[in-house]
Amino acid sequence: MASRKSSSSKAAVRRVTSALKAATAPKAAPSRKSKSSREAPPKRGEARANASALTLPTLHESTTSSGLKVIAAERGPLPLVSVRLVIRAGSATDPEGKHGLADFTARLLRRGTRRLNAQAIDEAVEFVGASLSVGVSEDTLSLSLTTPAEHFVQMLGVMGQLVREPTFPESEVADARERELAHFANDLDDPSIIADRAMVRALWGDHPYGHDVGGSSKSVRTFTRDDVVGFHEARIGPKVAMLVVVGAMPPNRVVAAAEEAFSGWTGGPDAPMDIPAPKGIAQGGRVLIVDKPDQTQSQVRLGGPGMRMGHADYFPATAMNIALGGGFTSRLMNEIRVNRGLTYGVSSWFDSMNAGGVFALSTFTKTESTREIIDVALAEIAGVREKGLKPRELADAQSYLAGLYPLRTETNESIAGSIAEARLHGLGDDWVEKFRDRLRAVTPKEVLAAAKQYCFAQPPAVVVLGKADVVKKQLKGLGPITVVPASEYE
Amino acid sequence: MPKASPSKAPTRVADPALESLFDVHEATLPNGLQVRLLANHQAPVVSLYTVFQVGSRNERPGITGISHLFEHMMFNGAKKYGPKMFDKTLESSGGRSNAYTSNDLTVYYDDFSADALETVLDLESDRMRSLRISQETLTSEREVVKEERRVRVDNDITGIMDEELGTLVYKAHPYRWPVIGWMADIEAIRREDCQEYFRTYYAPNNAVLYIVGDIDPKKTLALVRKYYGNIPRGPAPASVLNSEPDQKGERRAEVRHPAQSPALMLGYRGPSARDEDTFVLDVIQYVLTKGEGSRLVRSLVYEQKLAVSLMLDWSWRIDPGTILFYLALKPDSDPKKVEAALYAELEKIAREGITDRELQKAQNNLRSDHMRELATNNGRAHALGHYEALLGDWRRVLTLPAAYASITNDRVKAVAAKYFAPEARSVVTLVPTSTEA
Repeated sequence: MASRKSSSSKAAVRRVTSALKAATAPKAAPSRKSKSSREAPPKRGEARANASALTLPTLHESTTSSGLKVIAAERGPLPLVSVRLVIRAGSATDPEGKHGLADFTARLLRRGTRRLNAQAIDEAVEFVGASLSVGVSEDTLSLSLTTPAEHFVQMLGVMGQLVREPTFPESEVADARERELAHFANDLDDPSIIADRAMVRALWGDHPYGHDVGGSSKSVRTFTRDDVVGFHEARIGPKVAMLVVVGAMPPNRVVAAAEEAFSGWTGGPDAPMDIPAPKGIAQGGRVLIVDKPDQTQSQVRLGGPGMRMGHADYFPATAMNIALGGGFTSRLMNEIRVNRGLTYGVSSWFDSMNAGGVFALSTFTKTESTREIIDVALAEIAGVREKGLKPRELADAQSYLAGLYPLRTETNESIAGSIAEARLHGLGDDWVEKFRDRLRAVTPKEVLAAAKQYCFAQPPAVVVLGKADVVKKQLKGLGPITVVPASEYE
Repeated sequence: MPKASPSKAPTRVADPALESLFDVHEATLPNGLQVRLLANHQAPVVSLYTVFQVGSRNERPGITGISHLFEHMMFNGAKKYGPKMFDKTLESSGGRSNAYTSNDLTVYYDDFSADALETVLDLESDRMRSLRISQETLTSEREVVKEERRVRVDNDITGIMDEELGTLVYKAHPYRWPVIGWMADIEAIRREDCQEYFRTYYAPNNAVLYIVGDIDPKKTLALVRKYYGNIPRGPAPASVLNSEPDQKGERRAEVRHPAQSPALMLGYRGPSARDEDTFVLDVIQYVLTKGEGSRLVRSLVYEQKLAVSLMLDWSWRIDPGTILFYLALKPDSDPKKVEAALYAELEKIAREGITDRELQKAQNNLRSDHMRELATNNGRAHALGHYEALLGDWRRVLTLPAAYASITNDRVKAVAAKYFAPEARSVVTLVPTSTEA
């Protein structure tokens, strides 16, 4: 039911699913990873006070004896609880030469603890209908759990074991390494994954954000059990962690369960690692062609500097981007898809992290129109950079985003995510409630200033994945061209 | 939409946790449009789903993909809201819209700020009443769909394999062709074909409207009557004949394509969604592949280390559907060996069934996934529409947990034996060729 339907119905899902369901193909633009791009846009300036206020559950804050900060918010009516344990140990903390170690360690947390082997962990969690996943971003390593409320205490206990006493069995480390290497090989057959990976390097270069969260086959091949044990000891601990619990559970029970589940948790650093601000775009003004000769389509990425999370420019820049490359009526979508039929999907977004961010565009088109789609995209972005938005356009963008923003308060998971994000980046607990007011306060003048700064004031990095011998001729004049085989990004 | 015959489905108890959430108001307008309304005041947002009973199942060779191409055309202008105005009006009112086409259905949905309800009803009823299909927008939209086909099929290995598998599993039924259609057909579809499609399938009597969220059901129904009430009823669409012959033996195909690793995609012909066997297959799907501790994941990925990842998709369909397996392998894998390991697991289920604990685990997970699906307005509206279209009644949302709870191990064995028979399978093997081909 749930699982089946969502795979068969929703827009571009994950790789296998989406393809299998080629069927389902909505008119939808493919969803990009970006947060900001997908969210949303808003409406006519005149009105739209969106009468009803957003009602978020009250936050109850406490700290366990082991020093773990706990935030609990009670919310019904479904008998479910969502838990997120966020640890400041993202891929930016990967040691030099060991890119992907945070991600690799996260996956291995559930492959054995002092009391439970991997099978017993799976059985404990999966039998009751709970689900447990790990995720790593540039800034954080997270464990996420959703569980029927009646099993919350027991499930939180399992989560506690995973971070407190993982054993990282040698055989599990070896198997995980083999599986990862196979994934890296198979990724070479997925054009959008490889294009994204190439773009990350082109944008960030040697910066700690400059490698794929999962690392590469070259780095993963070197991982040993000692690496994993070392990473766990050095980076995973209560002082750089935060537990957020949202759902059908009274806060006093959350406090008691957290105390028990995480008692005696030690290790990890006293403070998060300091990640330096980036100094511009590594490959700005240059063109990188990733050669994949079997393609009939080119994947195209353009990118320049953005901003860190919580930056003062966030609201003007977000409003600007909605109109430029957000919804179905954005300038990019209108010109590239609707008027010219050059692509199925195009979007631009700000990817904002703790220490810095980027502004980027992503699309694809048949090989023959690769240059045309880049030229049209650059012209649209230049148009906003030079003249900003018309007042009406800004008002529409504000209404769009303000109208849809409450969707982010629909589920326990999304509320837990918002709370965690606001805390991590120092956005303030009123971030969600004030969001729409702050957005509506943005003026055309502020938008123009943001556009001048972020809409490729300097030439962007250009990444194209496709048939190099055809594409290379088309791209002359965009900047110095480098051609590399797709295998470079395994 | 036709209802399931009440004599067939055993009486089932509604789940109390769900029943309290589903105070659904139902109505049918004189023109045949059915309406389902459900209030939920947790956030000031609303989801509206319009489900039309038309999909690639209703197509014929020569115009394959028209349901999906037409889905795109529904966003390109009607009488009151002309070209580009649908999205523009909706987005600037604090809403967003999308749609999807499947083998059986075409579904349009909008999520929006509660105060935009009337605007959305105006927009949606306008295109149901008076869509305009211009040659210019058809020409441009056709190019968009071709790019979509390139990205989902032609440049995606699983897309290529899936298309191959469809033609193996089905010889006569329209499930044979991909929903997005063959490229040559996408090229050939004419404006007149789209107009005929609109007249035939997009009439109010072929649609159900679901509105879930921060609404007042009574006032909302009055608005629905105001905006949709005068759209004329259309002719009853022709029914689709299922002339698929029985399968007489295993079917195989190879796909040679640049790739790093071989891969396997397999299909077994399943029952139709309304067959009670469907729910037993749901349980089997969970036992085999749901979670790290499921049988196939544990055995093929973790113990025997033959696959890197795998999936099983049992998609409910109006006519007998496909139980589909996909296995991602390592570069040096031997697909034959992987196949043998998979068949051994399937035979084991048919022979021995599953343990009581596995059965209970599947039931627990089906229930909690069901709950999670119902956490949003969009999920609730989708669920109502999905169950009504495929099972005949939206109330199945309430009784599904009970249906799963009544399944026994004997049924599991019998269903596995029936559907996983070697002579009923179709197998597509990806044979990697050099990337530099």
